Amino acid sequence: MFVQEIAQEHAAAAVEGHAGKFDAGETIIHHVANSSISEPLIKLPTIMGIDFSVTKHVFMLWLVAATLFVVITWLVRRYLKQDRLIPSGAMNGLEAVVEFVRDEMVRPNVGNKWVTTWAPLMLTFFFFILGANLIGLIPIFDVLGLLDHYVLHTAEGSFVKEVMHGGTTATANYNVTAALATITFGAIIVAGSKAHGAVKHWMNLVPHGLAWPIYILLIPIEIMGMFVRPFALTMRLAANMTGGHIAILAILSFVFLFAEMGGALTGIGAGVIASVPLAVGISGLEIIVVLVQAYVFTLLTAVFIGMAIHVHH
Amino acid sequence: MDKIHYFGAAIGLGMIVIGAALGIGKFAAAAAESIARQPSAADKITGAVNLPLFLLEGVAILAEVFVLLIVLMK
Repeated sequence: MFVQEIAQEHAAAAVEGHAGKFDAGETIIHHVANSSISEPLIKLPTIMGIDFSVTKHVFMLWLVAATLFVVITWLVRRYLKQDRLIPSGAMNGLEAVVEFVRDEMVRPNVGNKWVTTWAPLMLTFFFFILGANLIGLIPIFDVLGLLDHYVLHTAEGSFVKEVMHGGTTATANYNVTAALATITFGAIIVAGSKAHGAVKHWMNLVPHGLAWPIYILLIPIEIMGMFVRPFALTMRLAANMTGGHIAILAILSFVFLFAEMGGALTGIGAGVIASVPLAVGISGLEIIVVLVQAYVFTLLTAVFIGMAIHVHH
Repeated sequence: MDKIHYFGAAIGLGMIVIGAALGIGKFAAAAAESIARQPSAADKITGAVNLPLFLLEGVAILAEVFVLLIVLMK
């Protein structure tokens, strides 16, 4: 949304006004933000007012979706083709995760009756968010960028150059998480409507049998709560992902700040003593955060759907 | 005076951290204590602590986003 736009403006300003001095803030924002909409990776036409151009984050989303689709379909197909029921290899891991999501997260919240209806959505959420989070943590694109810089020598502004300018986490973009939370918002309404009927679901939002003055207060609060829950989901996921990246990049930029202050040797010293060990530590923390955030998003969605199905009033 | 918004953002960030740390500390203390009293219910206690913990984290993160907005928008 609009945090992202401001970040993009800062990133654009960083690219334009990059004369000599190292500016930590602008460099970091440039790495975290999406590529600017005026210079996308692939230029596509605008259809019905929607710009379909592929930016860095859109490219990462497609990459995650394609990878997950191929890997999971391949694993399940291979398992279904074999003649014994015991899974082997990576299928073991997949099955463990699927069972964990279904039995520990969805079933206790949604209930036995609806678990088969909502488990697929939760699994999709979990794997997609986990994949998108993790792929931002793997520096494949930065390594490929080095390869490009020293071996391939592609032209300035080419597709390869643009893609390889730092891999990014698609879930650190507020637009992506807002879209995911919109699905949650819809799922809550669909779940309530399926369980109680379209009219009863809306009446379930407030408790029955209270004095009428209370409803004047209660109905606006409940309607606000309906929108606040997906909003909180949006902010939590995106801010967690952005925050971790900013922390790592800020610590790594000490190297350049110190090098600017006291020469190259000082910079290398700061890197060896402080920056690199700290950045490694925070990267380790990020692995936990990545797992926890995928878990939290899925769990909270399951809880909200469960709240729409089992009304406690 | 044109950089005074950094001051507000820094103070806000500090206060967020104080609040979130107090909240998480209380959760951790209560969870550790109750697990010590009843080790067999550890799973249930962890499950019950998890959800409010994430809600707390969400509030703190929201506040941090607004601090970031203060810095970026001036």
